[in-house]
Amino acid sequence: MFNYLKEYFDYRTLLPVIGLLVLGIVSVYSATFDARLPEIFYRQLTFAAIGMVVLLVLAFFPFKLLHLISYPAYGLSIILLVSVLLVGKTVSGSTSWFNLGAFRLQPSEIAKITTALALAAYLARTDVSLRSIKCFLIACAIVLFPVALIMLQPDMGTALVYLGMFFPVLYWGGATRFTLTTIIAPVIVAVASLFGTTPFLIAVLVVAIALYAMRENRVLAALVFSLTVLVGISVQFIYSGLKPYQQKRIATFLDPGADPLGAGYNILQSKVAIGSGGLLGKGFLKGTQTQLNFIPEQWTDFIFCVPGEEFGFVGAAAVLALFALVLYRGVAIAASVKNPYSSFLAIALTATLATHVFLNIGMSLGLLPVIGVPLPFLSYGGSALFAAMAIIGILMNLYAHRKEY
Amino acid sequence: MALQDDILLYRRQRMVLILMGLLFCVFFGRLLQLQFLYHEELGKKSEENSIRTIPKEPVRGYIFDRFGHLVVDNRPAFTVTVMPFEFDKKMIPSLAQLLSVDSEFVQERLKKGEAYSRFAPVKIQRDIDFKTLAQLEETHDRLPGVDVQVESKRAYVTAARASHILGYLKEVSEQQLRSLGPLYGPGDVVGSIGLEAEYEESLRGTKGAEFSLVNVRGQIAGSLDNGKHDLPPVDGRNVVLTMDFDLQAYAESLMADRRGAVVAIDPRDGGILAMVSKPDYDLSSFSGVTPPELWRQLNEDPSTPLFNRATLTRYPPGSTFKMISAIAALENNVVTPSWGITCGGAFRFGNKTFKDLHVHGRVDMLRAIQVSCNVYFYQLMLKVGLDNWADIAQQFGFGQITGADIAEESPGLLPTTSYMNKRYGEHGWTKGFIVSLGIGQGELGVTPLQMACYAMALGNKGEFHRPHAVLGIAGGNQTGALDTLLTDTRTLTLKPSTWSVVREGMRRVVMEPGGTGAMARVPGVKVAGKTGTAQNPHGPDHAWFVGFAPFDDPVIAIAVLVENVGFGGSFAAPIAGKCMERYMRNLGILESPPPSPVASVKRLASHPTAQN
Repeated sequence: MFNYLKEYFDYRTLLPVIGLLVLGIVSVYSATFDARLPEIFYRQLTFAAIGMVVLLVLAFFPFKLLHLISYPAYGLSIILLVSVLLVGKTVSGSTSWFNLGAFRLQPSEIAKITTALALAAYLARTDVSLRSIKCFLIACAIVLFPVALIMLQPDMGTALVYLGMFFPVLYWGGATRFTLTTIIAPVIVAVASLFGTTPFLIAVLVVAIALYAMRENRVLAALVFSLTVLVGISVQFIYSGLKPYQQKRIATFLDPGADPLGAGYNILQSKVAIGSGGLLGKGFLKGTQTQLNFIPEQWTDFIFCVPGEEFGFVGAAAVLALFALVLYRGVAIAASVKNPYSSFLAIALTATLATHVFLNIGMSLGLLPVIGVPLPFLSYGGSALFAAMAIIGILMNLYAHRKEY
Repeated sequence: MALQDDILLYRRQRMVLILMGLLFCVFFGRLLQLQFLYHEELGKKSEENSIRTIPKEPVRGYIFDRFGHLVVDNRPAFTVTVMPFEFDKKMIPSLAQLLSVDSEFVQERLKKGEAYSRFAPVKIQRDIDFKTLAQLEETHDRLPGVDVQVESKRAYVTAARASHILGYLKEVSEQQLRSLGPLYGPGDVVGSIGLEAEYEESLRGTKGAEFSLVNVRGQIAGSLDNGKHDLPPVDGRNVVLTMDFDLQAYAESLMADRRGAVVAIDPRDGGILAMVSKPDYDLSSFSGVTPPELWRQLNEDPSTPLFNRATLTRYPPGSTFKMISAIAALENNVVTPSWGITCGGAFRFGNKTFKDLHVHGRVDMLRAIQVSCNVYFYQLMLKVGLDNWADIAQQFGFGQITGADIAEESPGLLPTTSYMNKRYGEHGWTKGFIVSLGIGQGELGVTPLQMACYAMALGNKGEFHRPHAVLGIAGGNQTGALDTLLTDTRTLTLKPSTWSVVREGMRRVVMEPGGTGAMARVPGVKVAGKTGTAQNPHGPDHAWFVGFAPFDDPVIAIAVLVENVGFGGSFAAPIAGKCMERYMRNLGILESPPPSPVASVKRLASHPTAQN
């Protein structure tokens, strides 16, 4: 029995996830304790139980079938994303929910996984090479199609997660430096242009030098370069087209201290919560920032402050360490599986998780702007938790079938 | 697509792990920075966020007189406060209307308080009346952040006013806020003048604080650790005066409709028994909010009611100063007591005639004091000289403040040789300038307090106590024992014979037929004193009397000044006599049945706090 477990059941990935899940439930309990929202806590308990079922189902799901349904699942989630735009429910300026009776479904969470499935299935094909422009563009299309639909909701945070998944997958697939630059350059130039003209020009210069140094096809290089500049310029137009709360978030990102009572409030209060925790924290249910609701809707995106404040460095470091373990396992699985589909899928799913973790904790620590990305396993929310549990379930599945070609 | 190249895959795995590891290192570093490096600062911020400190006002110390009668009491007063960050500034006009003040006034107060602390209530208006209070309670829901705090205000519960010596409280100024530190907040009151100012530190007590947890909307979510950290306010300490408020009230009634001052001192320790300055003002009009019109009226009143005549006047003392000349002569062996002159009613010196009121005929020193012969003292002054005279006057405390526990005090003016040289040039003045100083006229200024001390030193044969109005300060509420204040005593060493002569002269002023102070007599007691009639260029003479009683072992020394009425013997002496009699009755020295005490004092004896 133990040998079977060791061989086919990836408890090394599961155990830190269970640790995170427990910490998450404790944190949600604390964050909703004084807000008199016990239903949120009970719902999260239910979600965790369902999530565990989802995990186990996917862990023991027939491996071949998973590969086979990759495209249909992707297609289904695209249909869901389109229909949520038509009939979805609007929450804080963004239409991303289906109202299914008492249960609300967020298709963008499902699409994260199905996109990874489709991408892995496509890249695993023997006739596909990232060195071919055609293949590269198709891979881009697989990712950008759902991204475009999600940006229409609009949900910038989730859209960003797709990018965070795509880039490591390309690297994993052996994309050239030129290809990677093509992907990353517009992002760098776009962010730089938000800071002003001088940073924008410096970024453009850096990209130009990098492209020149790679000695690629000049026409292609010029094309990529002009595309990059175009993106940089259009960012200002997109910025002015953003919803005011998103503009504010970006402005706060550039200077979080400028408006501590307005847009910078969340980040400031989050830093105060974590910093005031000190080494051992203020004690369970004794964090004043948490209990007196200084951080709005803390049980969703700012959940990391709860262990940070109530259990201090010990609690926050434990969360970080558990995530590091899970992500390490994900990368290790990607590197150890024999099947290319499994490897691409593992790296895509791990990168998805990692992007969530880094964006969310970076935001809570005041290192990144407020991006509406939940912290996997800890944040309140059914769809996000199911997606995270599904990722772990699939990783465990891939581990169990690591020796199959 | 093939991924079989193990070496490439290994490199990529390593690269991905290194990148993730770096990001985790950044996060760990940030955690260390926030939770250790910035821990203190962010911890403080979190406290500021969530802990509301509500100050609890102490009860200001009560003031009692020497017999334990309550003099200054406290009454509850309702103060309107505003919590800046809960208050909607759009509601300023409604609040201003409720309080019947200008919007600008509320705005100004709020701005000042907010600058001090956003999380502390700002006092907007003190001592609102019950009607306003009721209206506020009704509209409470419409005005979030507006609250009423119970404070205390002073109540004066005797028949005496004692305005100048007790003094009043005023709202603390911005300048004081900076210099006094965290003991006071905006809108607090602080002793501004008189004993309230002098003993502020003892009277004020220490503010307490109640710590509450507030949520993000500023609503109180509960007490912090069940009030474990709350600090109860420490009430102010009670002050016991050396004063006799029956005597004070009586002296005030004798001075009613007069301008002038009465200062009575206990010669045994320098304790001030009574200090009257008339005209005065009603302290209770300062206990709440003082209307600006009242301030203006008091400030512009030509009879200067705010001016403490007992300690700030600089009038010449007139003939009451003749003992100084006599002592200077005797101490410097310029004359013997038997030296005499014949008074013809005037004295010519140079081309100037110095007048006397009567023709006294043959007078020696005792008689000259008794009948207040000017001619005798003109001549004596010429023999004594300015330096000897000024030296004795200085020993009796003239030309300098007494150092009493009343901050507002004038040193008066005592001319010395160097003063005259400075004022008139070294050769610009002659002996003629100093002749009138011999009878206490001319460039000489004294305060009634100095004169009372002078009377004390004469009564004590040289023992000079620093005058003071406070006997002691109650040492907390537990024991009830008084922390008595240190007294300060010095002794004037004069020849015993000198004391005998001048004191005998003063006894004769009151007790012997022909003495100018006969109206200061008290039946059954030997009284000594000296009258004075000080000329003044602005109107009728000021009447003076200084004295003490009983002659051999005095319990009261007194100085009386009545402005612009005429002879000291007619106007000041009777007031002094009545005051001395009243006080000796209060002490039980006089056997005859005491006059019925002032009604309010009787009432006060039964006041619960009067037992403290």
